[in-house]
Amino acid sequence: MTVDAANLHEGDELPALELTPTIAQAVRYCAINWVFPEFFFDPDFAKSVGMPGTMVPGPLKLGLIYRAIDEWLGGAGFIRQVRAAHRRPDLAKHPIVIAGRVARVYDEAGKRRADLEMAVINEDGQPSVRGFAVVEFK
Amino acid sequence: MSSAADRTFGASYLLSHARIERHPIPAYIRLVPDESLLTDEIRALVGHRTELGPATITLRLVQRATEVFYGHPGRDYAQGEEVPGYVISALDPEIDPPEMPKLLPQGILISNEWAFERYPRLGETLVVTSSLANISERFGGQFGYSLDFRTETEYRATNGDLVATSSTNMMQYDASAARSSE
Repeated sequence: MTVDAANLHEGDELPALELTPTIAQAVRYCAINWVFPEFFFDPDFAKSVGMPGTMVPGPLKLGLIYRAIDEWLGGAGFIRQVRAAHRRPDLAKHPIVIAGRVARVYDEAGKRRADLEMAVINEDGQPSVRGFAVVEFK
Repeated sequence: MSSAADRTFGASYLLSHARIERHPIPAYIRLVPDESLLTDEIRALVGHRTELGPATITLRLVQRATEVFYGHPGRDYAQGEEVPGYVISALDPEIDPPEMPKLLPQGILISNEWAFERYPRLGETLVVTSSLANISERFGGQFGYSLDFRTETEYRATNGDLVATSSTNMMQYDASAARSSE
């Protein structure tokens, strides 16, 4: 499915992307960066430093927001910018929902663009990440 | 060199008054330093750029990045075809970015961002440059005194054109000064 840029309006919602990040996913993220903070993959270590479990790496959540936008675009455009402001940690093996809505549709540099407000919502219904993105349509 | 804890302002004065007034001084006030932790030496790091070297976008790298975010390696791409922007998170230039100075005991990611002029292409070599864009002090908030570090990484084509930028804001703080601990 591809989003229709001509019929896009402020307030339109992106389909919610429901995910449950895993420890294996966190380990893969650590591996591509070759950085291995133990609280991302070792539950005992995470508990020893006061966390209830292993955390989902923040930059991984930026990538998941990118994914939600990319799946919504369906090839109709490209993501010029995506930003994540991290408000509270998310734990591995706990479900999250990535939600978004169109904040503004406009023309710039001869291209149709849209600003998107994004959020990662945890299982308690709290936003763990506030996000923002700019997409440009073909 | 004195530690951050050694440079707390007027601690003995405040604590003695606290006993007189029977009002405990919150830790987040006690731990505001007398002098800025941002010395001239530290401030001089701002704007310094480090070339991390070239990194080439291979199909293997794209697939590994896709596996992280999608749980599967995704489709194949032809040489020269645009690949997803998130591949910049998996690039492996020749050297690591310089470590940030550690001025307070704990660090946490505040925000991060990717921006693209265009998506990278399979087979393309990008030259990666990292810089410490800004350091700022914050007074107040949960930890009383904290430092924000903003780092930026540029990904340029071999002709110098900017392809993408990633930026990260990290906060350094002292957890022992948290308001919630009062």
